[in-house]
Amino acid sequence: MPLSQDPLWYKNAVIYQVHVRGFQDSSGDGIGDFNGLAQRLDYLQSLGIDTLWMMPFFPSPLRDDGYDISDYRSVHPNYGTLDDFKHFLDAAHDRGIRVLIEMVLNHTSDQHPWFQESRSSLNNPKRDWYVWSETDTRYRGTRIIFLDTELSNWAWDPVSKQYYWHRFFSHQPDLNYDNPAVREEMWEIMRFWLRMGVDGFRLDAVPYLIEREGTNCENLPETHVVIKDYRARLDREFPGKMFLAEANQWPEDLRPYFANGDEFHMAFHFPLMPRMFMGLKLEDRKPITEILQRTPEIPATCQWCLFLRNHDELTLEMVTDMERDYMYDEYARDRSMRINLGIRRRLAPLLDNDRRRIELMNGMLMSLPGTPIVYYGDEIGMGDNVNLGDRNGVRTPMQWDGGWNGGFSTADPEKLYSPLMLNPVYGFQAVNVSSQKRFEHSLLSWMKRIISVRKSTPAFGRGSIEFLYPANHRVLAYVRRFEKETILVVNNLSSAAQAVELDLRQFKGNILIELFGRNIFPRIGEMPYLLTMGPYQFYWFRLRKI
Amino acid sequence: MPEESILSDDFIRELMNVGEVDILVGVPTYNDAATVGQVVQAIRAGLLKYFPRKRAAIINPDGGSRDATQDLVRAASISDMQHASNPQALRTLHSISTTYGGGAATSRGLYAILAAADLLHCAACTVISPSSINIDPEWIPRLLQPVSQGEFDLVTPVYRRHKFDGLLVRNLVYPMTRALYAKQVREPYPSEFALSGSLASHLFSLNLWTQHEGRDGAELCLTISAITGGYKIAQAFLGTKPRVDHAPSDLVAAMREGVGTLFSSLEEYPNWMASTTSQTVPTLWGEPEVMLEPLRVNRKRLYELFRSGVAELEPILTSIVSTSTLEHLQHLATVPEQEFCYSNELWVKTVYEFAASYHKAVINRDHIIQALAPLYRGKTYTFLVENRDAPGDEVERHVEELCGVFEHMKPYLGEIWNGGK
Repeated sequence: MPLSQDPLWYKNAVIYQVHVRGFQDSSGDGIGDFNGLAQRLDYLQSLGIDTLWMMPFFPSPLRDDGYDISDYRSVHPNYGTLDDFKHFLDAAHDRGIRVLIEMVLNHTSDQHPWFQESRSSLNNPKRDWYVWSETDTRYRGTRIIFLDTELSNWAWDPVSKQYYWHRFFSHQPDLNYDNPAVREEMWEIMRFWLRMGVDGFRLDAVPYLIEREGTNCENLPETHVVIKDYRARLDREFPGKMFLAEANQWPEDLRPYFANGDEFHMAFHFPLMPRMFMGLKLEDRKPITEILQRTPEIPATCQWCLFLRNHDELTLEMVTDMERDYMYDEYARDRSMRINLGIRRRLAPLLDNDRRRIELMNGMLMSLPGTPIVYYGDEIGMGDNVNLGDRNGVRTPMQWDGGWNGGFSTADPEKLYSPLMLNPVYGFQAVNVSSQKRFEHSLLSWMKRIISVRKSTPAFGRGSIEFLYPANHRVLAYVRRFEKETILVVNNLSSAAQAVELDLRQFKGNILIELFGRNIFPRIGEMPYLLTMGPYQFYWFRLRKI
Repeated sequence: MPEESILSDDFIRELMNVGEVDILVGVPTYNDAATVGQVVQAIRAGLLKYFPRKRAAIINPDGGSRDATQDLVRAASISDMQHASNPQALRTLHSISTTYGGGAATSRGLYAILAAADLLHCAACTVISPSSINIDPEWIPRLLQPVSQGEFDLVTPVYRRHKFDGLLVRNLVYPMTRALYAKQVREPYPSEFALSGSLASHLFSLNLWTQHEGRDGAELCLTISAITGGYKIAQAFLGTKPRVDHAPSDLVAAMREGVGTLFSSLEEYPNWMASTTSQTVPTLWGEPEVMLEPLRVNRKRLYELFRSGVAELEPILTSIVSTSTLEHLQHLATVPEQEFCYSNELWVKTVYEFAASYHKAVINRDHIIQALAPLYRGKTYTFLVENRDAPGDEVERHVEELCGVFEHMKPYLGEIWNGGK
């Protein structure tokens, strides 16, 4: 199946986030690998996703799950070899699946040879590849991101007797992007992977590339200069490839990362995600509509990336203190579920394993403006284990069947990189792909269906959005339009049945065709259009004038 | 039936959009544009500050205002339709207004609020007067928290009031309600109060709305219903109640609302005969206070109205009060002003005889109420003289003494209730 040649392929994509370590082990060592992942590509193709976002797989001491990189041009031996990766990449492309990989620009592992050299002496040629200081008082006021573990953004290096700057863990020193050599080398690394055939990069932690005194060291103009340069080179040498920004910022602060369509192609809409959860719990669309009202227009070639959950905590950085307290009280009453400024739980446990709410949230994910990302395992409703420390509780092995190690690995269970989920609700014997494939109405089957409908409806990926504001605040309704296609989406955020009257006079004369069952609904007239909706129900309607 | 005319289709539709709420705030209005804007903004501030996570709504039944009253109330809403992010508000706040017409009929307004409370399954409901210009956002938790926490079903207000303010309540409505229904509710005819959802639903189901349609005094009925229904009652100190200068002509209307309703309640709630010594009601957030600023009052006018009233209304008074009471009143009407004293005992006997006559409808009931007005003025005169230089605690002691007489003489009311004068 050939890859789509549409230059804006990423706007129609449905992305699946996966960690090779946790998906399928082919070697029997208890750790997922690329050969195993390649074996599961048929499953992913049948699910309907067309883009994979791979979490870091480069060599690393694995003190931050691979985001601490010690070699940018290889594959961690746990996961296979470069050839294994190449084989997997080709197999994915053969199935029409693109592959995005992580590119951690901001920092390396302290075990990276560059840092080992840099710290070895003040005169080393790579000294200036990192950000060093005599004191720990520079860039005062810069916020600490990993609040639970770090007390400062500076760490003392006993080798070179100076401080080095780190926005994340202290074992992840920040690279110095004021050094042209650093910028060149990072481009060469990207080029290495692009030549191999990867389809793009998720550029990790981009707001923090540059530091300047008297600022908050985030989103600085110089950062955009760096990105613009990379984008220009990407377009010149590798047209059709894509940059996805990881920038946990307010929408207005994210906007510059799109620039005039000459920086990032896509960026995660971080502030929307917690507000979807908030709106659901409040049974009030206000948090959702307000953040989207606040979201600026972006260039026509650019796209937001939407997600419900990922490998990190459900971040509550981009909410007010009142909203954060509310989210903690409603979704993480047990304090062990909280980490940094977020909640380390998977989708299904967050939603009390309520199928209706899971469907509703996925419905919004697939229909709000942006490209949706499904986190591995959420398509079958996997659970989490907060006792595994850090964010590892949401990174447990994929559950394929009810047999040995959930079908993930033939190794002894004690050798697995992480324990499997075992409890009667979320354990692998209760929640797995194999059992859900047998039933037409399983969550997995439903996810396949909604992805299929999403992909066959261009308005979702490409269209505009116009909110309707029915007086019933429990109902979130909007219209998506693209070319001749008009789609009406109505979501009941409430746990109770609701009646809602929609002002659809501008669409007078159209009939509504519900997209899943393809049944027709009454024609739109002058009067408010009355819909009655069950708890957490949503509708997708195509409007047709006949 | 009132529900057919008050709960219009549009109102039902608006309630549908509001949905189930935890807290409902009712603000009944009629041409209150001068004050209601300030009131609803204070309500909104109180909800945002003290109940940010609760589902809340403001319901405004309006009697057909011709000014900007309804627009001012609607302006208090918070929603995404305003297209301006409100980070102070976690939730949508509906502020809806419905017109029931018919002018300032507070019973119809209250009925609409109780209907909304019942339909929206609210846990706590409060009613705020649109003219409470001294309202503070803190009123909201003071009224609502005791109810929303499930400790009480009815919270009535107590205030810091001038010693010469609210005299009809001080000299008649409060002591008589206390004596009859055995609860020391200082403001039995409250302009702001809070109800539990269960009490609101109970009151909504009562027949009193059809009986009082078009007539005021529903708030007093509400208090009496709660007392006789065994609901848990508390009082909340709300601060200063501004003094309102009433025209003399307002007295009869006020007496119809307060006294007429109180007299009618004796028939609707006959268990007053069995009730015993009154009980105190918990008072939260502070005790009622008495303000003592000098105030010019035309006492002489009151004295003269009493005298002329007794003389002119003699044929009517003959039908209402006992012979001995009439003789005492006529004697009092001849006493020089400096010696005038309408004693507590005579006053209570007067009121009870009026109540019994009202029950027997010896003459038109409205005429009975009107006939009480000049006598009340005489009692007011005595109160003003007795308390002219009195400090707050002495004023309170005088009120307490009057309450004692009402309670002590209740058996007399029982004797004359169904018997002769």
